[in-house]
Amino acid sequence: MTETTFEEEEYTSQITMPVVRRILGLLRPYWLRALGFLVAIGLTAWMDSYFTYLNKGIIDQGIMRHDVHALYRLALLYGIVQVGQAAAVFTFIYLADTLAERINYDLRRLTFNHLQELSLSYYVRQSVGRLIARVTSDSQKVADLITWGFVDTIWGIFNIGTATYYMLIINWKLALIVLAMVPVLVYIATEFRKRILAEYRRARRMNAQITGAYNETIMGVNVIKALNREEQNLDEFQVLTREMYEASYRAAWLSALFLPAVQFVSALVLAAIVWYGGLQTLHGTLTVGGIQAFVAYVTMILWPVRDLARVFSELQRAIAAGERIFSLLYTEPEVKDRPDAVPAETLLGKIEFDHVSFWYEPRKPVIRDFSLTVEPGETIAIVGPTGGGKTTLVNLLCRFYEPREGVIRINGRDYREYTLESLHRRLGIVLQTPHLFSGTIRENIRYGRLDASDEEVEEAARIAGAHDFIMRLERGYDTEVGEGGILLSTGQKQLISLARAVLAQPEIFVMDEATSSVDALTEALIQRGMEALLKGRTSFIIAHRLSTIRRADRIIVLKAGQIVEMGTHAELLRLRGHYYRLYTQQFKAERARAYSGLEALA
Amino acid sequence: MTPKHLTQTHMTHNQLSRHPLDLRRVVGKRRLAGLWFMTRGYRLAYFGAIVALALATLAKTYTYLLLRYFADLLTHQQKPILGKTMPQAFAWVAAGFIALALGQGLFSFLSGRLAAYTAEGIARRLRDYLFDHIQRLSVAYHTHVSTGDLVERVTSDVDAVRRFFANEAIGIGRLLIIFGINFLAIYHLYPRLAWVSVLVTPFIFAVSLVFFRKVSRVYEEYQKQESRLTTTLQENLSGVRVVKAFARQDYEKQKFERENWRKYTLGKRLTFMHSLFWPASDLLIGAQILGGLIYAALLAIHGQITVGTFVAYTGLQGWLIMPIRGLGRMIVQGSIGMVSYGRLVDILKEAPEPLDDGDFIPDEPPRGEIVYDHVGFTYEDDTVPALEDITFRCQPGQVVALLGSTGSGKTTLVNLLPRFHDYTEGRILLDGVELKRYPRAWLRRQIGIVEQEPFLFSRTIWENIAYGAGREVTREEIIAAAKAAAIHDDIMAFPDGYDTVVGERGVTLSGGQKQRVAIARALLKAPRILILDEATASVDTETEAAIRAALARLMEGRTTFIIAHRIQSVMHADLILVMDKGRIVQQGTHAELMAQEGMYRQIFEIQTKIDEELREEIEGAA
Repeated sequence: MTETTFEEEEYTSQITMPVVRRILGLLRPYWLRALGFLVAIGLTAWMDSYFTYLNKGIIDQGIMRHDVHALYRLALLYGIVQVGQAAAVFTFIYLADTLAERINYDLRRLTFNHLQELSLSYYVRQSVGRLIARVTSDSQKVADLITWGFVDTIWGIFNIGTATYYMLIINWKLALIVLAMVPVLVYIATEFRKRILAEYRRARRMNAQITGAYNETIMGVNVIKALNREEQNLDEFQVLTREMYEASYRAAWLSALFLPAVQFVSALVLAAIVWYGGLQTLHGTLTVGGIQAFVAYVTMILWPVRDLARVFSELQRAIAAGERIFSLLYTEPEVKDRPDAVPAETLLGKIEFDHVSFWYEPRKPVIRDFSLTVEPGETIAIVGPTGGGKTTLVNLLCRFYEPREGVIRINGRDYREYTLESLHRRLGIVLQTPHLFSGTIRENIRYGRLDASDEEVEEAARIAGAHDFIMRLERGYDTEVGEGGILLSTGQKQLISLARAVLAQPEIFVMDEATSSVDALTEALIQRGMEALLKGRTSFIIAHRLSTIRRADRIIVLKAGQIVEMGTHAELLRLRGHYYRLYTQQFKAERARAYSGLEALA
Repeated sequence: MTPKHLTQTHMTHNQLSRHPLDLRRVVGKRRLAGLWFMTRGYRLAYFGAIVALALATLAKTYTYLLLRYFADLLTHQQKPILGKTMPQAFAWVAAGFIALALGQGLFSFLSGRLAAYTAEGIARRLRDYLFDHIQRLSVAYHTHVSTGDLVERVTSDVDAVRRFFANEAIGIGRLLIIFGINFLAIYHLYPRLAWVSVLVTPFIFAVSLVFFRKVSRVYEEYQKQESRLTTTLQENLSGVRVVKAFARQDYEKQKFERENWRKYTLGKRLTFMHSLFWPASDLLIGAQILGGLIYAALLAIHGQITVGTFVAYTGLQGWLIMPIRGLGRMIVQGSIGMVSYGRLVDILKEAPEPLDDGDFIPDEPPRGEIVYDHVGFTYEDDTVPALEDITFRCQPGQVVALLGSTGSGKTTLVNLLPRFHDYTEGRILLDGVELKRYPRAWLRRQIGIVEQEPFLFSRTIWENIAYGAGREVTREEIIAAAKAAAIHDDIMAFPDGYDTVVGERGVTLSGGQKQRVAIARALLKAPRILILDEATASVDTETEAAIRAALARLMEGRTTFIIAHRIQSVMHADLILVMDKGRIVQQGTHAELMAQEGMYRQIFEIQTKIDEELREEIEGAA
């Protein structure tokens, strides 16, 4: 089951400097472009203020003095500034946007590539949904922050700054009255933000739950249909949508209240300008143009102040996203190459488990003091109860995990001295639940060896017993398997994953057997294919079928992380111990079924 | 048994009571007509929002007219109307500004609240409808659709449509009102000035329209690329063991890099379009503002309008231009909503299964006599039939086993029973009545299915077992079912017992445990007909016996279909159907089939040969 509920973790309200520095560090390769857009946005904001100032000139010098020449001169200047602003706007949109795309791209690449290096233990702790969110939405948030987040902030600062400058030039007393409104606005904005944000969070939480409900319903749709759960499901879903509705409705009307509140404050300031400014005009210390400029500036600085609270909360969210991304990027893989690692020449040598112990959680060992020597070419069958450590043992062998205690040696050398790549390249693994990638059957088999020719792919499929069913498909090897192989049956997926391992021509073959869901005829084919595959290779098979167990050179009975019995089939039977019980139980079950069929069920 | 005859109108009523508005009616409508349809029930609120907006805009516009009066006072072109002295008049003007702001605030809040009510209400209705629609879409649809893509659509596309109603649908009305009222205001000041102020409008509109068309196309591609990228990512992350096992990290990196780079280049294309559009439209708007400004200034210089009028005009002009500039952006954003709307209609287009369709509803459960009479079935998007000429009969309580290779049509055959698919040829009779006459919902209540890999929901075990019982069940009943399914002891071994949450957030159950939960689920449902899909295939030896015993209890007295790969599981069935390539190649009892040449004996011989060898071996060794 995959989780696609991209739930957002709550973030800290503190903005921590190291994270900010790291985020800014992402800009370093593009510092020239970043500088360019900062300059362009600053210019754009300044020109906005300048237009109003020019307008004042038109009134005071042109209209009031009936001076047409002054008007034309100022109008020409106005036009020039407009062209300049268009150029600046082009520059900042282009630079900010391409930069956002670029950094988004960089972050996706960085996180994805790092994820490829991380060990299995990391994946066990994290859900796929969370990891997807790191690579996609978190990257997006950070990229947006260091481009559009900055655009908003710098625009705001420059807007307020330049407007203040011109207001001070025109009339400093009135300017102070206008500036007095800024803290009031900031206070109102913060208070509203807090409440609106709480509702947004609630809505986001509900959104995650709704996504989860959709996900589960779609994946389990057959069960839902079979069990007639449609009505009840809808009822349950409507509880979620109602809460989502309530949260977003409240957030929306709170926002609708916020704007009038801000405008009312500005109206008070406007009233002050009219009254006080009017008196000043009577004394001749303020012009009509001046008053009109003030009215315009009050409206102008309203927006950035209003937006400041929003930008700030977005900043917090983006920084939290950045924190999550960097914590991923700074996670060291648990299993990685040693600095002095050498490529393994061959894995066809003696494999020794020397007093190996392993645990996922302290004091709960899964493998205890496990010792085993395997000769090249040997086939080892691992049997035992669920939870006995079979899968962990195989994971250790594949070096998905490394022993906590003890050593695993291949060719007499600690396998940690080899590079991971050289180990994995010579390993063929078939998992119990086969995983395929979207693409054709041919592409999926070729995953085993990328440079294999079409003939080699087909040969591998033949060995694995997959060729016949593939040829029966309308498009043969070019059949699309769908996302995760959804268009194929479980048995078909198994055959393809077997063919994939065959093509890899591994030196060590590891299989978590699951042949039981393939029909009898195909199973016989597989058995024959496996025989060919096992020849000349060291093999470890977590075996469930008697035929597989019987064929093994040696059988290990694993219980509670330890070998309780080991030997050939005949030797173990003679012991009359765990294996004997396991085997006869399985044997009786199969025989009983063969002779008395379904009545054995009762 | 007294069959009830239901009329078509009753069912339509049923459909309507679940969803007050049948959103499928948007299918086939043009985009705007479809979106308009979705506003049903909210049109009054929407209208109210628009009226409130008009009043708020009016208050805003009057602010500028008040400013005009004030400026004319200052330049002595106006006598004070209220107050005798100038300072008194100023005070009245100041009070006027505050009063207008209050009016404006009240109405704009009202409008915002009504708009939110509209948009959120429509979105909620859409979410509910889509959820129900999707769970009623056919099994055939669900096998071919990717979960990730579907989830993406019903979440982010619904949100885009919500934004369309919250921002664009209201916004476009708002912009038109602002434009209209301010145009009238300027017209009132000086008619020719109003006409001069809108000269460039058509050009801006044309530019934004061309841009809108282009951007929507690129954006759609961009979205598609995004979902491709997510699919690649998801597959990589969930297949991490395979990637590591084959040491394919570099290959995966390259694969991801291709998709990542493509998204980047598409994003850059979008960017470039935006960065051209905005300054270009800015220039047009700038020319308009400047032209209007010069014209108004000349009028003022020549004394045709007062200074106050000029001041008011410079303010009003901004409010006249803003909507035109905004209109372009609104349409661009609207295009995103439209694209999303189109993607949702694609889902709505698919016909849901009519669950209550059928005129034969017995009061009692069926006896379970089933007849397949020359049944054939072809998948909708396929030309080769999946099933051909299937004919057999089974008595109530009998066991029918299906044997055959992967893809031979076994699952398709049993999937016809709960009407997951409807047969395209021949007929199936249940208790002598054609299957298509039974409503799907009724039919499915009579059929229990235990799958090879049962799907459990991320809920508690209580809920998972009770899931689909179709009635209130007591805890005792659940525990009894769990005991009968031989899962009780396993459950009690979990720290939270029956309250254990299953799945990624809780405890991961083994394949055998899941199966037994599914058996308990089926026991509680107590169906007349049972379908077991390879129910013991993926389980290890120790749990197999427990499952077999549980299954035997489940099968007691029920008509049972067993899909099997192994001859051992089918030998004592009352009827064995040997299937190959969608046809029944042999049928009969074990004894009958053994007496014939054919596939059955062939499979049997292979399996007994293996077993024979094993027996010899154990004897030889011991």
